[in-house]
Amino acid sequence: MAKTIVILLDDKRLKALKGSGLEEKVASLFGGAIKALNLEVSEEKAKEILHAFDTARIDTRDCITDVPIAFNRITFEEIAKAKSLGPEVIEGVLKRLGEIKEFAAKEKEYLPVPEH
Amino acid sequence: MGLAIGRPLPHGGKLVDRVVTNPAKGIKMAKHTDAVFDIKPTLNNGIPLRNVYREIMSICYGFFSPVEGSMTKAEVDRVVKEKRLLSNWVFPYPLVFDISEEDLDKLGVKEGDSLLLRLKGKPFAILDIDEIWKIDDTEKLAHDIFGRPEANPEVVREPFDKKMPGWLIYKSLNPMVIAGKYTIINEPKMRPPFDRFWYPPKKSREEYERRGWRTVINHQTRNVPHVGHEFLMKNAAYTGDTEPCHGIQVNAIIGVKRPGDYPDEAIIEGHEAVNLGGYINPKRHIVTFTLWDMRYGNPLESMLHGIIRQNMGCTHHMFGRDHAAVGKYYDMYATQILWGKGIPSFGFPAPITDVPYGLQIRPQNMAEFWYCPVCGEIAYSESCAHSKEKQKFSGSFIRGMVAEGVFPPGVIFRPEVYKVILKWWKEFGYPFCNPKYVKDVEERLEIDLPDMEI
Repeated sequence: MAKTIVILLDDKRLKALKGSGLEEKVASLFGGAIKALNLEVSEEKAKEILHAFDTARIDTRDCITDVPIAFNRITFEEIAKAKSLGPEVIEGVLKRLGEIKEFAAKEKEYLPVPEH
Repeated sequence: MGLAIGRPLPHGGKLVDRVVTNPAKGIKMAKHTDAVFDIKPTLNNGIPLRNVYREIMSICYGFFSPVEGSMTKAEVDRVVKEKRLLSNWVFPYPLVFDISEEDLDKLGVKEGDSLLLRLKGKPFAILDIDEIWKIDDTEKLAHDIFGRPEANPEVVREPFDKKMPGWLIYKSLNPMVIAGKYTIINEPKMRPPFDRFWYPPKKSREEYERRGWRTVINHQTRNVPHVGHEFLMKNAAYTGDTEPCHGIQVNAIIGVKRPGDYPDEAIIEGHEAVNLGGYINPKRHIVTFTLWDMRYGNPLESMLHGIIRQNMGCTHHMFGRDHAAVGKYYDMYATQILWGKGIPSFGFPAPITDVPYGLQIRPQNMAEFWYCPVCGEIAYSESCAHSKEKQKFSGSFIRGMVAEGVFPPGVIFRPEVYKVILKWWKEFGYPFCNPKYVKDVEERLEIDLPDMEI
């Protein structure tokens, strides 16, 4: 069964999607308070992701969660590049695993406090 | 028959109180000990898993009544096999003071001796030695405690392994056990911010009395509360007897956490923010904690939670799906099975409240709350029929949102609660428990001890 990766969209990411044709695929969560893109991945690719990151898991919504932040950031970059939510996105992400793991190692030590 | 529910007796009939509050008496007792040992955390690859000091605190302050100390071999055998103490009262976990053979040789103590336990270099407690025994196989012990799919088919779904923190704690124990009663001889001082939430059972019962609370429902937590948790607390509290529960108690489990959990400081102050923000009236809400390194044992953990909160004086306890669980080792309803119909293979052919020497606290077995865009509100899963449209409060989804720096909307976190997360994020440089946080906690611990010259 396919699994889902939910990519949260802030204003910056929403702006980056303008004209990509993906605007209509933006999902509205919690009464419109959160915008997100739902990227479907095959069971096989989901297994690869779980194998790559020891914290990653499938939650009760059948979503892949607890992945490094860098994973989500790079997934968004691949979506924006491909202007698609197709299987090429996750293939592009998995090609960048080394880069993601490098960022993830740093994330384990320190994360900057957001300025809201 | 009256319908009003009264405060339950402590588990075992009497609250354990083994804390010497008179320093002169403590010094005198310490002088009569035969050896001194500095408490060490249980480690796995250098990462702390557990610190026995938390068990000593929870035993001596009565949270684990009627347990009074480190268990003898016969007691551990009975707890493992039947989930009962030798006195017959139900109890889920062995609690032991474990030590390496090398350390035991250095100590040179024997049965009948008294051991002074130091913490942070200062006298802390005494262990009066009844028995010294050996655990033959810690891995077998860990399996025997939590169960096996073939032996406990009602609730165990997958064999336990090192990814299960409780299993790993028991697997990592030292082989020698010094059994006997503990006495805290140097009264600890809770460190901020924990000090204002410290309500050991005697004090919590007094506090309920002072507030005029006859019925109190407990909410178990190891999480910063999102709005789904808040709705669970508010709605579960409608139970009671002839009126909703008078009080809602949050009892946080403070101790070693998994990477990715929130820091303890954020958990406890996050719950306080719910009442400071007025989302639950502080007159009806109290935040407390228990020191314990969670075993994540789902039905077994719920049994311990029932014991702790009954000892604190609660009349009711809310239990959700996957209570105190990790992974898919147990059935997601294992806790509700224990409290709803019993688990015969664990020795309970009836609900744990209906067996001899069982518990008196009443379970409130709840399903879940989700956001329903059709209802336009946070809805109870058994009431709302829009399961297709539902949006779940996934803890991991929310943690991801926090980590990515996305400001959570009010429907997920109350702003006051999120501010607490940011406060401790600034303090620790990280919003969640990471290896550095876990190591630092085990150095500073939750308590300080006064100087005590012996």
